[in-house]
Amino acid sequence: MARGGRHEPGDHLPAEGSGREPAPEPGTGGAATARSSVQRNAWTRLASAFRPRVKRGHLLPALLCAVLGFAVVVQVRSTQDTGLDGLRQTDLVRILDDVTERADRLRQEARDLEDTRAAVTAGSGGSLAALQAAQDRARVLGVLAGTLPATGPGVEITISDPRGDVGSEVLLDTLQELRDAGAEAVELSTLDGAAVRVVASTSFVDPADTGVDGPGVVVDGTLLGSPYRFLVIGEPRTLEAALGIPGGVLDVLRQKDAQGVVTQRDQVDITSLRAAPSPRYARPAANDDNDK
Amino acid sequence: MIAALGLVLGIVAGLFLEPTVPTWVQPYLPIAVVAALDAVFGGVRALLDGIFDDRVFVVSFVSNVTVAALIVYLGDQLGVGTQLSTGVVVVLGIRIFANSAAIRRQLFKA
Repeated sequence: MARGGRHEPGDHLPAEGSGREPAPEPGTGGAATARSSVQRNAWTRLASAFRPRVKRGHLLPALLCAVLGFAVVVQVRSTQDTGLDGLRQTDLVRILDDVTERADRLRQEARDLEDTRAAVTAGSGGSLAALQAAQDRARVLGVLAGTLPATGPGVEITISDPRGDVGSEVLLDTLQELRDAGAEAVELSTLDGAAVRVVASTSFVDPADTGVDGPGVVVDGTLLGSPYRFLVIGEPRTLEAALGIPGGVLDVLRQKDAQGVVTQRDQVDITSLRAAPSPRYARPAANDDNDK
Repeated sequence: MIAALGLVLGIVAGLFLEPTVPTWVQPYLPIAVVAALDAVFGGVRALLDGIFDDRVFVVSFVSNVTVAALIVYLGDQLGVGTQLSTGVVVVLGIRIFANSAAIRRQLFKA
């Protein structure tokens, strides 16, 4: 490969301006003959370098060249792998920082989304449950307030009062006894006649006190005459027992020559309704916990 | 001649052996390769100048590689490894360009 001797063992690395360059710079107007001879010289040297011959001094450069080729291929391959293997510590730290930061960001985002989802599901579920509870409550209160028809097991009480001695106090006692026995919905009617839903505010008044003529009892402004009929929803046996106790309602009725008949029913339908009163002064107190 | 043969042989060996780069070499191998390329280009230029000397080539090759690796190592220890290796690559790249320009002038007078 080599052709020249050890002319200048110092350096063949500096490129420009070393002063050892035989070729004139392009455009310096060097003689054409000189240029061609130098050019042939370079090519000759190149050709002679590739002449197949082995010198002992060339073995080491050859070995180094082999190492270089080997290293180039290895490096190219490891670069193509583009793994994290070839990166230096600072780069790895930077990448790790980036990844950690990104992971933190994503975790935060995931947390936010989970919170949102929880809020949404809890909100919809909560409002649904609240709505359900409110509707249940409204139904129960409607039954109690007499604004909704009611059905269920109970008793039917018929009171026939041929002498007209059964007054408002007897009916009120009867109602009170029924309530004590757990009556949940009560309707009072003239048999096959006008019916009144009995609620907490129901009043029993003797006709004479209201200026209304005729036998019977004025219940919530409606004149009801004998025979009376109570439709009561509640535990039937308890209700009947409550009415039949000694000195109770049935005894009182007997003393007044009236006849009370209690019949247990598997199903009592109370259909008469009462308009829901809208309070003029009372307002619901602002307490949200009451709804729950 | 046998240097070119050695280069080809090394490439072939690298292709067939498929070695993995040891971890401690990985930061220095690219710089070492560039430094060696610089030495080889300088050698070719010296060859065309007719002043090639195998001893000089070997010494310059080894010292180039060593110094380059040393600079990168020092940079790593100082915490400026990335910047220093960039600088080394730039310098070596300039030298390679200069040498190849000299070679081009030698061969083509242009």
